[in-house]
Amino acid sequence: MAEASYTVASDSETIGEDKSSAFPEIAIGIDIGTSQCSVAVWNGSEVELLKNTRNQKIMRSYVTFKDDTPSGGVSSQLSQEHDLLSGATIFNMKRLIGRVDTDPVVHSSKNLPFLVQTLDIGVRPFIAALVNNMWRSTTPEEVLAIFLVELRVMAEAQLKRPIRNVVLTVPVSFSRFQLTRIERACAMAGLHVLRLMPEPTAVALLYGQQQQQSSHDNMGSGSEKIALIFNMGAGYCDVAVTATAGGVSQIKALAGSTIGGEDLLQNMMHYLLPESQTLFKTHGIKEIKSMALLRVATEDAIHRLSSQISVQIDLDLGDGLKINKVINRDEFEEVNRKVFVKCESLIIQCLQDAKVEVEDVNDVIVVGGCSYIPKVKNLVASMFNGKELYNGVNPLEAAVRGAAVEGAVASGINDPFGNLDLLTIQATPLAIGIRADGNNFVPVIPRNTTMPARRDLVFTTCHDNQTEALIIVYEGEEKKAEENHLLGYFKVVGIPEAPKGVPEINVCMDIDAANVLRVLVGVVMPGSRQPTIPIMEVRMPTVDDGHGWCVEALNRKCGNTQDLVTVQKKV
Amino acid sequence: MRCHVVTVPGSDYRFFSPTPLSVPATITFNPKSLSFPYRIGGLRVKAAVNDSYVAEASKLSFYELLGIPESGSLLEIKQAYKQLARKYHPDVSPPDRVEEYTKRFIQVQEAYETLSDPRRRAMYDGDMARGIHLAFSARRCYHDDEAIEQKSEWKARWQSQLSELKRRSQAKKNGENLSWAARMRCRRAESSDES
Repeated sequence: MAEASYTVASDSETIGEDKSSAFPEIAIGIDIGTSQCSVAVWNGSEVELLKNTRNQKIMRSYVTFKDDTPSGGVSSQLSQEHDLLSGATIFNMKRLIGRVDTDPVVHSSKNLPFLVQTLDIGVRPFIAALVNNMWRSTTPEEVLAIFLVELRVMAEAQLKRPIRNVVLTVPVSFSRFQLTRIERACAMAGLHVLRLMPEPTAVALLYGQQQQQSSHDNMGSGSEKIALIFNMGAGYCDVAVTATAGGVSQIKALAGSTIGGEDLLQNMMHYLLPESQTLFKTHGIKEIKSMALLRVATEDAIHRLSSQISVQIDLDLGDGLKINKVINRDEFEEVNRKVFVKCESLIIQCLQDAKVEVEDVNDVIVVGGCSYIPKVKNLVASMFNGKELYNGVNPLEAAVRGAAVEGAVASGINDPFGNLDLLTIQATPLAIGIRADGNNFVPVIPRNTTMPARRDLVFTTCHDNQTEALIIVYEGEEKKAEENHLLGYFKVVGIPEAPKGVPEINVCMDIDAANVLRVLVGVVMPGSRQPTIPIMEVRMPTVDDGHGWCVEALNRKCGNTQDLVTVQKKV
Repeated sequence: MRCHVVTVPGSDYRFFSPTPLSVPATITFNPKSLSFPYRIGGLRVKAAVNDSYVAEASKLSFYELLGIPESGSLLEIKQAYKQLARKYHPDVSPPDRVEEYTKRFIQVQEAYETLSDPRRRAMYDGDMARGIHLAFSARRCYHDDEAIEQKSEWKARWQSQLSELKRRSQAKKNGENLSWAARMRCRRAESSDES
């Protein structure tokens, strides 16, 4: 597996070199949502969304496995509902990709109408579709790749050229490990990832372009405008604060979480049928059908609640299991109170990190599928004292349009009217650091650091005559190391014997122009200028699937004999 | 938790100091730090440990880096930063100079972050006046007091907004604590008011 990911990486590098010699190909923008996806491209003067053969711009993200020929939501003309009921349709892959089976998000996916099996030991979950009464196993990467191939074919047919380069939008809360899984899926689909953009930053770019265009129009001074972007889709909720002036958008802060429409849906399903978990545990053909029926009906009810105050649900799940209920909007909001509270806290955190106060925000942009829910709109607006929300973007198309603009900018396309004279200065969505001071996570690059970035921090040994140090690299926000995303680990050996606290172990983290993370470690002894052992440089992430195991195994093997502490001096 | 190791990535200086604010006299030069080589792209390793470019740039003051006078206003700082970002950011720099410009961008970013924050700018100006030229990123340190103070300042400002939000959600909760029937009656009353 490690070899495979290396192949992918070097593959993209050679492609990058090819590009410079050839005529620049405009990269397309793809937004693969948890439930819906879309493709857009810069057509020379503006962004255009591509349509499938059924004239749809927004397609469902799912893949149906049938008789060895899987087909996705882009091309298939099949009745999705029917496939859903049969257990042959796999979806919500964006929630599952790059997660291990101890992850709560994976556990909450177990009541999807296909097989998500966990062993709870930190390996990748087993995912399978029911085809002709047989469980056919698959992986999130494979499902995404099948889907991406369909998107590619669709785009190639319309643009009449081969598609190679893409800009993809990703959730803010994705770890770098998850990003490698997305890249893997793209590579499987024959696509080269030019950029992976956090979703709200794609919206920020679109907003920056609009601001620049309007300042051109009224000969404005191009003064700085601050916008808060709240993006809530089916799988993830992301917030960004951007400051834009003269085409330069600076991402001041990002915040994200794995909450979204799927949680609203699950909460409602649980509310309608509290015993559903146990009822459907066996995952038989009948149970899958019932699960799918409940799901479809609940989803439909939630959609209708966006425009109606109450909805009637009449559902026959078979075996005498019937649901006849009137659900009103208040009930829906109460059942999902926690989700909405989390949304609020994400906005607060993001503003706080950006050091921006409510009054400083010029525009509040709410996008994503959940932006149609009145409660979501109201809660965001009320946090900004009832400010009117920005209406210059289509909530479902904003991210993919931003990705298409980035695709054109990153492909080096020039626009005679200056519409692509844009720059987005990105920030790190999560802190990156190592385990030290016991089991603590010590960030070396804090979250919301402008990229590219290079930071370093000095650590030292915690035992006398300690000659080896284990560097375990994590990404995340949690204080306890193991609650963060593991990116990789390596050992520094050959530290000269010395009392504890004497050797200086300098850990440097570097995110380069291509968003590649490298961890460099050097050891210096007092009185010497030169590193005592060669500097180690490791490109991260190095972990593979099943990384839940790794740290436990390391702990068993090494105990704390190779631990590090931060350097501190008490005054 | 206080840490007083301040490192200077990419250059050869490091300072040990008790706190950046209180006793600057105890700052001592410690010339034994490391310089990690920069590199860009896949396998093209540059083993340049002593990078003259960085050393040269780190001699510039933050004001010089941004190309503004020391009396420059916040607006000037912002404008200078955006202008330099357009030049040095790797997304827009010429392919053959990405590596050099990326380094420069990180420095410009550092200068901007310091000078656009009134507290940090005042500290930086103070250090400059005392002749201590804290080169590129000399302020950085794990759990440094400055960051904590800064946080508390923001905390204070946020406290007011938070309490407001809490109050609001409290009020909302009270509404929700009404019995089901009472709420329905409220709603009916409201809708009949509207009509």
